[in-house]
Amino acid sequence: MTALGSHSAVVVGGRTVARTEVEDFLYAEADVLDAWDYDAWLALFEAGARYEIPTTDHQAGWSPHASGSFVDDDWDLIKARVKRLKSRKAHAENPPSRTHRLVSNVRLFENDADSLRVSAAFVVHRARDGQFDAYVGHYQHVLAVSDDGLRFRLRRSVLGHESLGPGARLSFIL
Amino acid sequence: MVDADDVVAPMIAEDWDRLTFRVNRDAYRSEAVFAREREQIWLRTWLYLGHETEIANPNDFKVRTIAGRPLIFCRDTAGEVHAFLNSCPHRGTVLCREAEGSAKLFQCFYHAWTFRNNGDVASIPDADAYGSSDEFRDLMSLRAVPRLETHEGYVFVSFNPDVPSLREHLGDAADYMTMIEQQHAGGMTTLPGVQLYGVRGNWKLAVENAMDGYHFSPTHNTFVGYLRESGFAVTDDDQYAYNLGNGHGLLVLTGHGGRISMIWEPRFGDEERVRTEVHRTEMVDRLGERRAHYVADESHILFVFPNLLLFDIEGLSIRQLEPIAPGQTDVRAWQLAPRDEEPAARALRMKTVVSFVGPGGLATPDDIEAYEAVQRGIQATAGAVRTELDYSDMSRGMIDEVKRVPGRSIDEGAMRGFWRHWLDAVDLGDRLRVTGDRPAEFLEGRDVR
Repeated sequence: MTALGSHSAVVVGGRTVARTEVEDFLYAEADVLDAWDYDAWLALFEAGARYEIPTTDHQAGWSPHASGSFVDDDWDLIKARVKRLKSRKAHAENPPSRTHRLVSNVRLFENDADSLRVSAAFVVHRARDGQFDAYVGHYQHVLAVSDDGLRFRLRRSVLGHESLGPGARLSFIL
Repeated sequence: MVDADDVVAPMIAEDWDRLTFRVNRDAYRSEAVFAREREQIWLRTWLYLGHETEIANPNDFKVRTIAGRPLIFCRDTAGEVHAFLNSCPHRGTVLCREAEGSAKLFQCFYHAWTFRNNGDVASIPDADAYGSSDEFRDLMSLRAVPRLETHEGYVFVSFNPDVPSLREHLGDAADYMTMIEQQHAGGMTTLPGVQLYGVRGNWKLAVENAMDGYHFSPTHNTFVGYLRESGFAVTDDDQYAYNLGNGHGLLVLTGHGGRISMIWEPRFGDEERVRTEVHRTEMVDRLGERRAHYVADESHILFVFPNLLLFDIEGLSIRQLEPIAPGQTDVRAWQLAPRDEEPAARALRMKTVVSFVGPGGLATPDDIEAYEAVQRGIQATAGAVRTELDYSDMSRGMIDEVKRVPGRSIDEGAMRGFWRHWLDAVDLGDRLRVTGDRPAEFLEGRDVR
């Protein structure tokens, strides 16, 4: 996804999706995650969606179905993850991490008749237990497009780190 | 209780009248203890380096820091496996600055000294400036780690040239590693996608956590709930922990979850049920009924002292511990899978393993929370006037040692075995205090052949 040229709009199934619409979607997601509103977060997915975080040694072409990952959630696991995060017994997130998310460099790419690919940069700052960590990377999402808006079909966060630093776990949604 | 005339508080206090076993929390906090461990354990015994399948082809290499020492783990052009110090013999520069790759030669960028992947000097520019250049060249080959031995593809190194053989060190742990290799006729391979993460906790907290079935239900409450909802009846009944000697330990779990290709559970789906039946039949043909039972029907968490944990559970993970500081440990985790696995089975395996283990799983983050909360919490009693408070308790199930029967997985016997070995290994035996009659130590291995 490094091609030069304009990536500010794509046509999906006859409907033009502009960068502002995708940015609004990503900013809204950042807001609900920073507010720990996991039901609202789950509502941003279509049924059958996936959530993936490759390991930091990830190389282009590796499949989560054939190699190790940090997160390789199918739809059942996304729902199980949300249920867990809403529980007081998710000890790693009780009390929850305070997060603050920045999303930038949003670019749109054609995918198929009812979805688009989006790449974007993220910085997530996380505060917990007297620590303050930064997670830097980029998103490689696939968004389903319909008349009533956008939904995640694939939500993929790719870390820019060489490894996760001390204490930097992925118990929250990256 | 610590006697008033004790000059130094005991590191481990066993009281067989009260059935208590307590570990001095300095063991997790002290810079002096950490330095002593580095010298007495990490530079003296066998350490897990990596798996042969990580460097499957001639010229493959990985760089990896073990016991604080940067190493090159490589396979030479002839196919032989080596571990070299990743440091130019000339001035000490890091020789290979790539994390992994394939190379016949390693060239130091600083003065262009070049080495073959079997350690020999390939070239030293303007070598005639050195008086006796042939002799000089021979002295300047790459520094190999003094010992390297392999068991079932697991490559171990030791910085101690006089260490007894690896097999002697592994003892009863060796066969549990063989059992993993026997799960599939074509053997096992590590996969790309290594979980690299740091925890703010002492390395021994990670060992304790792995040998501790007691924490499973409360710590992993949400994961147990997920398994129950998907139709698996989680239980801790009739499951045991074994002290295998030399500091190695084993938890045998039969009620914590299914095992891909060996014990089906509903969340694995109908296709996997068929694959499991076929594979289980093949295992009996190949291994016999009894051995196939031990290989297939039990989950094992094996700790190989001091830095290797094998999670032979829903799937297989190799976890390596690398202490950084008293309160900080690097963790590396590889997934191990059958070489000849069909894509659907591999995808199920990856999804299932990662849903539990690793810093993004639904369970490991709560373990990390536990080590980190212990590391912070034990500051509360550090340097306390009442030194008897500065101990962690691992007494659960001591009565089984008196009765000489294997301890339950939900007791703390495997931890006690680890700590007793640790105290000898760091040569602090004079800081063991035993009150009452200590039962003779016994090994708790089983006949699983």
